[in-house]
This record gives sequence, structure tokens and C-alpha cells, in this order.
Amino acid sequence: MMPASAYDIVVVGSGPAGQKAAIQGAKAGKKVVLIEQEPGIGGNCVYRGTIPSKTLRETAVQFERLKRSNEVFEGKMRLDVPMSVLLHRLDEVVKAHECYMAGQLTRNGVTYRHGRARLLSPHEVQLETVDGACQTLTADMIVLATGSRPSSIPQIPVDHEHVLDSDSILSMIYLPRSLTILGGGVIACEYAATFALLGVEVTIIDRAKRPLPFMDQEIVAVFQRSIERQGGRFYSGHTVTEVSWDGVSSVVARLANGMAVKSEKMLVALGRQPNVEELNLEAAGLSLDEKGHLPVNEYGQTAVPHIFAAGDMLGRPPALASQAMEDGRRAVSHALGLPVGDSANQVPVGIYTIPEIASIGLDEEQAADRYRGPIVGRAPFTEIAKGQITGACEGLLKLVADPSGERLLGVQIVGEHATELIHLGQMALQDGATIDRFIDTIFSFPTFAEAYRVAALDILGQRRKRQDQAQAA
Amino acid sequence: MYNDDNLATLTCGVSPMSAELVPMSDPASTSPLEQLLIERIRKGAIELPLLPQVASRILAMVYDPDAEAAKLAALIHQDQALAAHVIRIANSPAYMTRNPVVSLQHAVSMLGMNLMSELAFSASIKGSAFKVPGWDGEVKSLWHYSLASGAYAKEIARMRRFNVESAYLCGLLHGIGRPVVLQTLVALSKELGTVLTQDVLHQLLDGYYIQVGLMVADDWGLPPPVVESIGFHVDYHYAKTAKQECMTTCLAGRLAKHFLDSEGFDEATVREHPIFADLNLYPKDIDALLAHKDKVQAVVEAMPL
Repeated sequence: MMPASAYDIVVVGSGPAGQKAAIQGAKAGKKVVLIEQEPGIGGNCVYRGTIPSKTLRETAVQFERLKRSNEVFEGKMRLDVPMSVLLHRLDEVVKAHECYMAGQLTRNGVTYRHGRARLLSPHEVQLETVDGACQTLTADMIVLATGSRPSSIPQIPVDHEHVLDSDSILSMIYLPRSLTILGGGVIACEYAATFALLGVEVTIIDRAKRPLPFMDQEIVAVFQRSIERQGGRFYSGHTVTEVSWDGVSSVVARLANGMAVKSEKMLVALGRQPNVEELNLEAAGLSLDEKGHLPVNEYGQTAVPHIFAAGDMLGRPPALASQAMEDGRRAVSHALGLPVGDSANQVPVGIYTIPEIASIGLDEEQAADRYRGPIVGRAPFTEIAKGQITGACEGLLKLVADPSGERLLGVQIVGEHATELIHLGQMALQDGATIDRFIDTIFSFPTFAEAYRVAALDILGQRRKRQDQAQAA
Repeated sequence: MYNDDNLATLTCGVSPMSAELVPMSDPASTSPLEQLLIERIRKGAIELPLLPQVASRILAMVYDPDAEAAKLAALIHQDQALAAHVIRIANSPAYMTRNPVVSLQHAVSMLGMNLMSELAFSASIKGSAFKVPGWDGEVKSLWHYSLASGAYAKEIARMRRFNVESAYLCGLLHGIGRPVVLQTLVALSKELGTVLTQDVLHQLLDGYYIQVGLMVADDWGLPPPVVESIGFHVDYHYAKTAKQECMTTCLAGRLAKHFLDSEGFDEATVREHPIFADLNLYPKDIDALLAHKDKVQAVVEAMPL
């Protein structure tokens, strides 16, 4: 056992939450150590989550663009294309990401240690390196940001060969001809969109009545239609009772209604569970709630005031990297008495389906619950010149306004570049911009951003109609 | 026992796939047997085992996304001895399903196409590559090493959630050069009229099995991850596209070695290798891998030579 080392802040986990917590602490002049059990910085987000899945998605999108140019290029994707070919840019992307993250930590003076951490007491963390050597680190403040992993369910045995989870799906050797996806959340829908575009026959099975139930129904419907056009199928409102490998060539999912769905491979994406088992929380006086989550307040503070938790380990869906980053910053800022800000209330949801989905603020249903007759303006991408030019007409931007049609309450978008476009709405919401602001603003032509103006004009029309009706009454 | 660690010195840190073949010992004191072996390897004059036609077609099927179970059953049927062998293996404790397997179709349907492919491929290469009359003990031990490596490779890949599909073949075949070197040495010592001692045999097996394994891989047209695993399972840092498979194979080989000779290659020795750190396996993970011993034993026993 090596002698103990003293730090102001020990951060466990180097994913988006841990990184930002560590940097925030270091920027405030604290001595910070960041512990990561994987060999590289970035957590699952870099090695098994966001970065690899988005790299594959990018290949699928490029393939789709080529297909759109079919009159110029005659081509068809080979069915037996190896996954490694589809992910050929992944190594470069990961290396670049690792490099910039390591640079960021070094610049800010954060000490990085590779090993597994477990709590020994409220102020002591044991670091076990991969060769088994142990060292005790002491800290005034501890931030736990160990992320999450795919949930496992006894009746669905994941063997990582035929039945895979989001950690192993990209290690398939070849693209399967058919893929059943269990779940209707962000991960399930993102992979469904990517694989469907790559020509895989995709079937999504989920208990919920529709995929992405926390998103605006009309927006999700556009995504659903897009998948169905690619040959994908949704079995919503179904429960899977058993999953088995038929021993020949198919994975069979048996549904509660007696139906059996067969496919070459299966992706199980039924939520995620926090990585807490190795942390030895009891030693610090912490315990989990009945759902297996670590209870925290709005700043991520646990029952032990100097121990915070941030990011996916909090088990708050949808697990967004941007939210995790904000959690990390917020926890440390609060602990150090720095201004926390209210940006946590305005984190946009970005879903990398094809087409993309994004949301900020209230959607139509939420607005209707709070206001009597909110006005919703719509801009289908078929009415946007850029959509026509690029062939990306499958899209819709919705602006949600208060009943007077003046105050912006929220923005929902489905379509190409939705996850970029949403930030315009985010800024408008943060600045308290009115609907008229979008009408008075001149957007470049042709751009997708014009959709904001089209939707605002739609609200203006409805507003006038409503005013006319009120006057007539 | 086999020593993968020697290769690093043999190739002086140069990729074994491109390295010029040099004697293991001082050229001045190189034995005539070793000199002859080197000459044969350089000239490509090693008698390579034929990949049985059935195995070749099974191999193509493993990597063919359009392959169907019915085709596999029909293929295995073409070789009666292989068919009988596969059914016997399917009924062994390692693989036995709830009910006894009575026909090949039944075996394919109960065990699954991938597993059947693995069994059939293993069984068919066993007869061709692992046959050196008079050296049954050596051949048996090489065969067990291959099987155990395949089984461990699959467990490692499962633990790391990475490429479970290709791990078995990489593990099974990474040492395919060994029985061929053995066969060559037996023939060469006969030619020279010298006695092949155990020490010399093991030294030369360790020294040349990779180069010869790569010749076999080329001749058999093995898939790229398997070829890289043969070439780079020791110096896995040099692997180009299948580094993960090479690292998995490296560790599988060490675990297999310990499995077959737990006293000569004890647990402490197994753990003394950077491969664990390179695969980011912590002591607890290693314990979990070592605990698969019974599973590996069952796989080895299921396919006797």
C-alpha cells in the first residue's frame, strides 16, 4: 500500500460529468485528481457510447446522401460489408477526442490516475491500479461520476454474440440482415435509425405505446414514418416474455400476446443502470434508494454533504452528455460557493436519430397542461427551400407560444441539423425573445434556420385569427 | 510446454509478418537441424497440411452472412466421419442440451450454426494438421492447447464485450504452426539421422511456429483477423486492424498454458504479463477468467484427439 495523497477534490469517473467537475474545481484553484478505470479519458461516451455510435451514424448518413445522388452514381452497398469498414474513422475520432480531453485536463492542472476507486470512509478513496496496487487518497470533496451500463434482465440473456447490448453491438463482425431492438428510448431509436439506413431490416419492440414517449408526439411520428419507409417496423405496447437463440440462425423474441419475432441479431436497449457496485458507498455512510439510485438534491449533493454525484449514475433519463457536463460543473460550483446559474433548466434534448430530433422548453402537450390554448406554429421542411435543395424535406419545426401568441415557450424540431438548429431556440428562450423577434429577423437564404421564421409567421396568422374572433365575439 | 515469450527476441521487435528469418541462437552455433528448418521455411518448402475441403467450406460459411443452417448440415453430411464426430461432441457434457442429440439436423438446430461451425471446423482440422505418428503425446498437448485457447478467447471476448464471434477461431488457430513445425522437425531429423530431443523440439517450436503458422494461414486462406492473431498474438502492439483479437488471443494462450500445466506455469506467472493491463483487466477480472477452468475443461474433453 502506497502512502496516502491529499487532494481538495477527488473525482471518480472521467466521462462528461467527471471531466467538467474536475476542470471546474481546478479552475477554482483546487488540487484535483480524476480517477478513471478505463485506460483512456472520456468514459463510455467515448469508447462505447456517443462517439462510436455517432461515427457509424455518420457513415449511414453519407450512404444515404450517396443514395440520393443515385442518378449520378450507380451503386449499391454490399450486404457483407464488415463493421470495421463502416467504422473505419472511429480510431481517428477517438484518438483526436482523447488528445483534446487530455490536453484540457493538463492545461487546467488536473491530476489523472488510471485505476478503480472505492470509498474507504467519507473522506478516503482507495485507488486500485490495474496491476492490483492500492493507494489511499484523501479529499475534502468527492464527486462520483461513474456513469452507467446497459441494464440486464434475467429473461433476456445477453451473450454479446447473438443477443447484444449497446456496449457490444458495434463489435459485430458483419452487418446483420435483420435486427430486433428491444426498447424505445434514445439508444434504441438512434441505433434503429442507423441500421435501417444501412439496409438492415429493423424491428423495434417496446412496452410503451410509442417510441421516445417523453418527446412531442407529432415530432416522433415523423421519425417513425422515416424508419417505416426504410422497411423498419414498430411493435409498440408489447411486452417481451422470453428471448432465445433458436439454435440455427435466429434470435426469437416471444411477446406476451403469443407472437414470435425472429431476427439474425438482437439489441437489448431497455435502459441503463448506474455503476455503483464497486464504490463501496456504505463505507462513506451512503445508501441507494429502492430504485438503486443514489439520492441527491438539485446540486447533486448526497446525504453526506461533501460527497456529490453527477451524470448518468443519477439514473435520470434521457442520459445526455450535455446534461452530465452541466451536472459536474454545477456540483463543484455549488460546493465551492461559486455562482451556479440556471442553465440547467434549459438543457436541450438532442437525439441522433435519422432524421435528428431536438427539443427545448415546453412541447405542445406540456404547454397545454399549463396554459389555456397555447399557439403552435409549424414549419414543415417541405416549405423550406434548403430542404428542397438538399433533398432533406422530411422535417418539421414547431414553435410553442403562450395563448397570446407572443411569448416563446418551447421549440421542437425533427429533421436534418435539428440538433444544431435547436440552439437558436435555446438562446431565444434564455433571452425571453418574443415570437415577433423571429419574424423581424432576416435569415440567410436558403437555410434550415428559416424554418423559425416560417413557424413564427404561422403563429402570427393564428394570433390574428384569434384576435379577430375575440373582436367578433 | 510452449513459450510464446521467446518470439520477441527472435524478431528483434520487428513485425513477425515482415521479419527476415534469423536463427534463434548464434548463427555460428546453430544446429544443422535448425539451419535446415530455416532453409525450408525460407524456400517455402514446408509440407503444409491440406485444409480439408469441408473445413474450407465451413470457414467460408462462418464469414458469410448469407450462410444458412441447412447448407451447413448438408456440408457436414458430406463427410461421414466428421458427421459422426460432430454428433458425439454435441452429446458431450460441454455442449449437451436438454435432450440427447440424435441427428445432424438436430445437432445444428440445438446447438446453433456458429457453434456447429466451430465444432465441425475444429474436428476437421484436427485430422489434417494434428497428426504426427510417433509423437502422440506432443500432438495431443498441442491440440488441447489450441482448444483451450479457443475456449478462453471466447470468454475473454465476452467479458470485454468485444468480437465474441471471431474470438474462438483466433484462439484455436493462433498456434497452428506448431504441429506443422513438429511434423517438419520429425522429418528433418530423420533425414539428418539425428535424435530430436525434447529441449531442442520445444526451442524450435517456440522459435518458428509463427512464421510457419503464417504460411499455413496463407495456404488455407484464413480470414484476416485470424491471420493477424497468428502473426501478432505475441507482439500485439504491431497489429494493424485486429489488435483487440491479437490481445485476446495472447491472453487466451497464457490462460490455456496455465490450464494445461498449472504447476509449471502457475497462476502467479500467468498474471505477470502486461497483457492484463493492456486489456485493462483488473485482478478481480482475472479471477473471474480463471474461474472458467471447468468450462474450458469440458470443451477440451469434448473433442479428444
